[in-house]
Amino acid sequence: MRTAALLAVCALALATAATAAARTRATITVYAAASLTDVFPRIDPTPKYSFAGSNTLAAQIQLGAPADVFASANTTLPQQLFQKGLCSQPVVFTRNTLVLIVPKSNPAGIHSVYDLAKAGLKLDVAAPAVPVGSYTRQILKNMALTSVLNNVVSNETDVREVLAKVALGEADAGFVYSTDAKTVPGQVTVLTMPAWAQPKVQYGICVVKNSANASAAQAFVNEVMSKAGQAKLLAAGFLPRVKPKTTK
Amino acid sequence: MIRRALAAAVVFAASFTALAFLALPIVAIFAHVSPGRLAAQLSNPVVTDALVVSLKTTLIAQALILVLGTPTAYVLASRRFHGRSALVTLVELPLVLPPAVAGIGLLAAFGRAGLLHTSLPFTQAAVTLAVAFVASPLYMRQAIAAFEAIDPNLVAASRTLGAGPVKTFFRVVLPLARGGLAAGEALAFARGLGEFGATIMFAGSLRGVTQTLPLAVYAEFDVNFTIALAVSALLVLISAALLLTIKLVLQWQPSRRTSPSRFALSISS
Repeated sequence: MRTAALLAVCALALATAATAAARTRATITVYAAASLTDVFPRIDPTPKYSFAGSNTLAAQIQLGAPADVFASANTTLPQQLFQKGLCSQPVVFTRNTLVLIVPKSNPAGIHSVYDLAKAGLKLDVAAPAVPVGSYTRQILKNMALTSVLNNVVSNETDVREVLAKVALGEADAGFVYSTDAKTVPGQVTVLTMPAWAQPKVQYGICVVKNSANASAAQAFVNEVMSKAGQAKLLAAGFLPRVKPKTTK
Repeated sequence: MIRRALAAAVVFAASFTALAFLALPIVAIFAHVSPGRLAAQLSNPVVTDALVVSLKTTLIAQALILVLGTPTAYVLASRRFHGRSALVTLVELPLVLPPAVAGIGLLAAFGRAGLLHTSLPFTQAAVTLAVAFVASPLYMRQAIAAFEAIDPNLVAASRTLGAGPVKTFFRVVLPLARGGLAAGEALAFARGLGEFGATIMFAGSLRGVTQTLPLAVYAEFDVNFTIALAVSALLVLISAALLLTIKLVLQWQPSRRTSPSRFALSISS
């Protein structure tokens, strides 16, 4: 009787271990920039996703987080991981542009980026360490508008926090990617920023070195780079990974 | 005999595992970098700014909790009326609510687009409100228990001897409940100092304005891990000191007949 019970327990344990192994073989974990929250599951719904500020994800990977793929909103963070031997050589898989958004109600009456200098205005941005926060400071610097940073009321941890606080109407304005603004139609008004002031917003992707599913991880990267993956990105408003040659 | 030894071994193993599990992360914070480097980070302006914001908002929140919470707790403890349990549940609710829910609730209530249409979000007052909201139940529970433990005969005696309700409250009730109130207040203070989720949602994070110590840990996590560790170490020390203070305060008055310490210890230990 006791032996039978013991055998049953062993069988159960083996079965659980087997299914767990099968599951880990099948499912990979993708750490991706918050701005990819909507589009990545459309490219492939099967991986487990962790969306956050790319800088937070990179720090977690450095501390040994179980990620298989790292998709960052810049190229510097994956490049740093690559140099430390923590991920494969990153490739650029898409690009993006920065926009200024205001709530539909536009409580502060902002009609251009130059209105951000108004005293007492509530400007929400991402923290400087977050890629979008760094781009925000670059674009303002390019336009000689860094003084508007005096109106910053919060340094958010990722771009979607900025989006949420502006969409809610709590902040008067915020800088996000054009693709984020598209996810809350009807809640925000988009003010485009001049092309000459735009920073180079390139997204880098790499396979994490200590991934237990390196082949599945590489397959995911290929999927993102594929025609179908790129089409999904374009449909969501992202830019082609290679800047098209301008025709005269 | 063998069975008893086995039982003792199991109990010992269980306790050891539990204690080791609790101690490990705390030890790790201090072991990750040398104490000298940790201490050196404490003079970093990020840390000092966060400390000032944290102390200021937590102290104001505690004042609010004491001034508004004490009479509320007394009414809930001394009166029996319809809906009393519903009110006590309401008072205790923030204790078990996820802080993110508290944050959403505060935004929905006090946000510009919220019920009251205030412009509180992103201000230091918003941090104070978030702290008061999540920390108040710890004081309220202790206060209600402390007031309930007072012998009603003492209150009645005071009244028959000619003291009015206000005088009775300040001269009889408050001194008798002192230990429980102090313990609850210290717990609420510690909880307030650690508040994170509701604050980041409702008040945001801006250095020197709304960035409290826990928010600084999160902000520095991927920027400067050593600062994040130093702030964490500081929070561990403050929290441990507060809990130890509670224990000492309660041990100083062990023979108090209306002592609420039984309840206090069960929460704090």
